[in-house]
Amino acid sequence: MALVQLPGMVGRELGSSEGLRVVELNIGAQHPASGHMRLIVYLDGDVIVRVDPDIGYVHRTVEKLAEGREYVRIISLVERMTIIDACNVTLPYVEAVERLLGVEPPPRARYLRTILCEVNRIASHLYGLGIGGIFLNHSTMYMWAFGDREVFIHLASLLTGSRLTHTYPVFGGVRRDLPQVFREEFEKAKRYMLRRLREYDKVFFNNPVIRGRLEGVGVMTAKQAVALGATGPNLRASGVRYDARMTGYAAYGELDFEPVVGSEGDALERVWVRLREIEASLELIDRALRGLPEGPFMAEKFTKTVPPAVRHWLGKGRLKLPGSYVRLKTRPGEVLGRGEMGRGEITYYLVSDGGMKPYRLRIVTPSARNVVLFDALARGHTLMDLPAIYGSIDYFPPEADR
Amino acid sequence: MLERSVDRRRGGHRSRPNVVKAHLDAIATAAKRLLEPPITLPYPDYMEARPPGYRGVILFHYEKCIGCSLCAQICPARAIKMYRVPGDKRLRPGYNVGRCIFCGLCVDICPVDALSESLVHDKVYEDVPSMDMDPVDWALWSRRVMDEERSPEKPLLRARLDPERGIVYEEAQPASSGGEG
Amino acid sequence: MDPLAWLASALGLPRWALRAVAAPLVYPGLLTFMAVALFVIWAERKMAARVQMRVGPLYVSRRLGGALQLLADGIRFAFQEIIVPVGAEKWSFILSPILAFTVASLAFTMVPGGPGVYGFRSSLSLIAAYAILSLVPILVIIMGWASNNKFTYIGAGREALVAVTGEATLLASMLAAAMMYGSMDFVSIVEEQARSHVPGIVANPVAALLFFIAALLVTDRVPFDLVMGEQEIVQGPYTEYTGILYALVMALDYLKLYVLMLMFTHLFLAGWAPFSDPLLGSVWVFAKTLALMLFAVFLRSVYGRMRLDQVASMFWSRLFPLALTAFALSALIHPVYAQP
Repeated sequence: MALVQLPGMVGRELGSSEGLRVVELNIGAQHPASGHMRLIVYLDGDVIVRVDPDIGYVHRTVEKLAEGREYVRIISLVERMTIIDACNVTLPYVEAVERLLGVEPPPRARYLRTILCEVNRIASHLYGLGIGGIFLNHSTMYMWAFGDREVFIHLASLLTGSRLTHTYPVFGGVRRDLPQVFREEFEKAKRYMLRRLREYDKVFFNNPVIRGRLEGVGVMTAKQAVALGATGPNLRASGVRYDARMTGYAAYGELDFEPVVGSEGDALERVWVRLREIEASLELIDRALRGLPEGPFMAEKFTKTVPPAVRHWLGKGRLKLPGSYVRLKTRPGEVLGRGEMGRGEITYYLVSDGGMKPYRLRIVTPSARNVVLFDALARGHTLMDLPAIYGSIDYFPPEADR
Repeated sequence: MLERSVDRRRGGHRSRPNVVKAHLDAIATAAKRLLEPPITLPYPDYMEARPPGYRGVILFHYEKCIGCSLCAQICPARAIKMYRVPGDKRLRPGYNVGRCIFCGLCVDICPVDALSESLVHDKVYEDVPSMDMDPVDWALWSRRVMDEERSPEKPLLRARLDPERGIVYEEAQPASSGGEG
Repeated sequence: MDPLAWLASALGLPRWALRAVAAPLVYPGLLTFMAVALFVIWAERKMAARVQMRVGPLYVSRRLGGALQLLADGIRFAFQEIIVPVGAEKWSFILSPILAFTVASLAFTMVPGGPGVYGFRSSLSLIAAYAILSLVPILVIIMGWASNNKFTYIGAGREALVAVTGEATLLASMLAAAMMYGSMDFVSIVEEQARSHVPGIVANPVAALLFFIAALLVTDRVPFDLVMGEQEIVQGPYTEYTGILYALVMALDYLKLYVLMLMFTHLFLAGWAPFSDPLLGSVWVFAKTLALMLFAVFLRSVYGRMRLDQVASMFWSRLFPLALTAFALSALIHPVYAQP
């Protein structure tokens, strides 16, 4: 570590007693608002001069574990980085492997993936809003967001049979067809959520106390955001029109996807972009449900070898896999999978040597990219602004630590 | 010298609501909620009736198994292992419910419907060894789980969406997962 | 017959001596406060739960809707081990919460609970009650210092800021009210309002609003709960406390809130008027105080926490100057209450 050059302090590496002006405060790992991490905050009076995020408390060696597993078993492994955003985190991986396998998912599967991705995105944004709320001690926003998130978890469990860890997209398609009740239930969820967003406005976003906490805090200009490599809503809040969904993976290319872009780049704008993305996602799901093509939800390549004894399940909207699915072999090569998660862009770099297991799976998660923002945005603010900045970045330690 | 002046740039074109109205709005919105019922599932007294197709604990139907071991191969958590059962020529799967992540891939790959998903998710075990079941244990346990599905200990509530109240729980009749295949 | 008078004659004690003991200990003092705290904290949690689509405390005494939850918590705190951190200043650490609680409850000798229900009647009872309450922050700062922990230091610093900021406005609004009535005695303040049939909140709404907001700040209520600021400084000066000492420091803010709302009732809501019967008057005062406390705790489910500098600038540059308006208003209104 380089010498710490702090104003009013000779670096503590020098062991000087003159450094007493700056207080070193450990926020975490046991702290009500730290999450699975530690923030080492250097304070001059009440002003933050530096923040060192100490990450890695929930590191689970996902990349290394992936090297020892067959492709299909990795889906539910990478899902565990962000179980609250399960479809978004697995989809780029599944699409990357599909490209190596040379399998094209049928259009219906691509639409169903999009629908679940957006349901997950709403749930993930609500989670972020809730945590952002409790960081400002606004317990009502916290409970409301978590209570309303339950609506979207319910929708996801209707579609996939699981509340959080859906393992829904698999190579060649998806695991369940759209159930009959989904459209009707989604219609209700949409109406409910749009009404609730107005209530969020009244209690949280237009609340003068919250406005004061978020407005003008942690301002990030577009230039800074790009230089720091920020991603997701944090990047778009600074006015940069970039979203991995613009590449048109899954069915986004056919749904006239338009990213939500903010302008001010402060904490309020970051939270606001998430709020407007919830609306945009509701609209996207609506469009995807209306344009949902008929047809199979799994590629012909795999369904044709399903044993005849269990074929009847496919007609009932349930997937049956052929035995060869466990030991899929890809062609040797390198492939890059990109996708937009709730918190930003996730990148998988997959190297295959032609075997049943990947040679290397490199994962860059959005939270891993956003962790630099702690130091960049918090400097010069007071200690009380730190939770506001943390909440507005929507940082998720398990995702960053992998 | 420390740079103390933070760029507190004000939102240029952001609409600022009237402060008094905003305070009153916030208080009124919260106060209105005082009269509305909670959305909580009264959990230990009631259980949630899982929606059809829910992926609960895995059930094993011994008589249908052909011992192909695909389930053990696909299991991402290594919750299913193959066992040698006395008096049986083939290997049969055993199940560690403590390791299970309820992904249901084993059910998807089973070529003969010997495995199925139940609607039961919440099971309590007194110790860790009893969570690790050999094939015979698993098959017997599966029957008990199916009985439990049909006649649950606690009354069931089913979640339903409502455009006014979000999630609503209402009384439900026990449904079967169709575990028999 | 007055029960107090009967008791006094039975014990052969002068009436004032019995009153001076009964007021701080029974009503409006500690015993009543304990019931109030049990109810208000339960109501706070229950109201927040309702707003937040939850159930709130329920399983302790189901039939009462979980009302005895606080009692259960209190019993648990009472038997919990008290841990004194190694680096802490032992005696200050243990004594300051006890002393703070004792000092705060002394205010009940001055604040009446109804017509004729008070410890001492003095022509300066308003300012005396305030003086007693303003000793508490010093003891809280000692708690923070004695705990010897960075979070408690920061919390103690915040307590100092909050005490100075909040009490300036609190005192100003209180004095504006006193000026309006031309008295610093709670009893004559209430009598003035009863006589003129104009409650203080109508005569001088500015002072009433300022008093209420400043009371929220000094009692650490949302949106001004800076001292406990959980998301930044864990529990502020109280971080290291455990067991019964923790229960005491948690109750401290509610005790202050109770006293201040009692004072608000007398200053701006005409106290026990129009009743002059000790029992009816006391019930009326108590009901108003409780309603005020319930509104104060309800704000927890509406607001988040304001930032330190925003609180300071709001109080010093907006509310404190507003207190001068309250003084001007009092001077104008004064003839309404002036004795003929």
